[in-house]
Amino acid sequence: MQEMILEIKNLTKYYGKVKGVEDLSLSLHKGEIFGFIGPNGAGKSTTIRSIMNLINKDSGSVLFHGKELDRDAVDAKSKIGYLPSEVFLYDDLTVKGIFDHHETFYRKYEHAAGIHERRKELVERLKLDETKKIEDLSLGNLKKVGIILALMHGPELIIMDEPTSGLDPIMQNVFYELLKEEREKGNTVFYSTHILSEVSRICDRVGIIRGGELIKAGPVDEISDKQLKFVTVTTNDVDALVSDLGVKVLSKEDHTVRFANVLPDDELIKKLSHYRIEKILIEEATLEEMFMHYYTEER
Amino acid sequence: MIKRELKVNLKGFIIWTGTMLVLLLLIYMVYPSIINGENGSKVDEMVKAFPPEILKAFNMDIAGLDTAFGWLKSEGFVFLYLIVGIYSCLLGSNILLKEESEKTIEYLAALPISRRKVVIDKILVSMFYILSMIILLGAFNMIALNISETPDNAQLLLLSITPIFPSIVLFALGMFISTFTHKTKKMLGISIGMVFAAYILNVISEMGKSVEGFKYISVFTLADSRWVITNSEIRPIFAVISLALCAGLLLLTLVRYQKKELV
Repeated sequence: MQEMILEIKNLTKYYGKVKGVEDLSLSLHKGEIFGFIGPNGAGKSTTIRSIMNLINKDSGSVLFHGKELDRDAVDAKSKIGYLPSEVFLYDDLTVKGIFDHHETFYRKYEHAAGIHERRKELVERLKLDETKKIEDLSLGNLKKVGIILALMHGPELIIMDEPTSGLDPIMQNVFYELLKEEREKGNTVFYSTHILSEVSRICDRVGIIRGGELIKAGPVDEISDKQLKFVTVTTNDVDALVSDLGVKVLSKEDHTVRFANVLPDDELIKKLSHYRIEKILIEEATLEEMFMHYYTEER
Repeated sequence: MIKRELKVNLKGFIIWTGTMLVLLLLIYMVYPSIINGENGSKVDEMVKAFPPEILKAFNMDIAGLDTAFGWLKSEGFVFLYLIVGIYSCLLGSNILLKEESEKTIEYLAALPISRRKVVIDKILVSMFYILSMIILLGAFNMIALNISETPDNAQLLLLSITPIFPSIVLFALGMFISTFTHKTKKMLGISIGMVFAAYILNVISEMGKSVEGFKYISVFTLADSRWVITNSEIRPIFAVISLALCAGLLLLTLVRYQKKELV
């Protein structure tokens, strides 16, 4: 059985009468990258801010290694790296200054013993100039500083909210490599994003959040390959076929119709066999298509 | 944490203290020429024209304006209480809140440090700067007055301590109120307004029996300068009340901040 690192149990948070998240439960295992996807306003940041205790939960709990992760769980916090969606740091400091400042908080922790060496390595790999002042940094460079701050103390759990916004494609690749290395070390990454290609590229499991509720969670392959297919059929009896299958039509042009199919393959073929089919194309849904399916069909 | 806070708040401390020192220096330089000769008698006449309530409110009935020390005991300390009070209140209302206002709180909250320690470290740094300001101003007054005249140094020393009492309460009050908001802009007006309101209430409370009750709601009563001038002693009760109010408000700040939503 996989070791559980983070457990969110029945998390509920309302902002007045507006729902942030409701009854959200999920678990993160050791050594995995968990993609947390949803559009803006779905509740991703509310979930992360609840984990980080920046906001108060209405109900539910967050456990780190089985223990409540509350505001004063200082030792637990030393094992967590956090990258917020927008990085705000002390403008009066230089990049070197903020890293030096950061190091002072971790000196007493054994697991962070290599913090200075790791910092130097990350600075080199992300090609960052430590002499620059924070206030003079571009959005991308500020993000790099945020990434280094989240990783340099050797955290077991890395929580990242929209981590690649502002990074150029080359740096994005370096960043993906860093995350994969963290996974190889046995560390866990909670990766919140709305960029679906990132999830299919680096995540092991994915959770889809909509309207503050987790609507689907599981391995990326399972979600994107096995449960939804898109079928494009060309036949003279388009209307009858659609009526018979009872499917939701995505597009229709002359004698060609495209629809999302959730029927088992053999059942679909049996039904199609009653018609004269000129052309047929069955495609497995990509993660992006799955995502859109969940967001349009169940809305 | 403490090292960084000391560095961040040093600039404000230098500006406020430096400005006060320059103003005091200018006053001590020009005061002898104002008060000597014909001007002195004009000032005497002007003071006589004030109603007794006003004279009492500014300690001018018990401290003559014929010396720089006399000026300090009357108008000088009023000015000093106000400036140190405003500095303390602004420091209290900003030191926690700026992390939220400048959005650095997400970084701070992720560090392995408890909220309690964040508050305590910021209190320690603030107290250091408030006390440093009071000590520097007191030392400057002591040196400047001893150069130009022979003041009652024991009384001057006691008077120099008195700004501590209203200032630490104003600091704690500012810090406590700041836990109810997220924006420093809101707190700027509230802090300055609070200090001036307390000061005006204190002045009014000296103007007659019917308004005497105002002194119980003004923190400037805690300075008790009138008693120090007439009796050359600090009443321990005022020190105790100041410390108790400050400790109570800081304790409430700790409780409030522990539960506060930071974004």
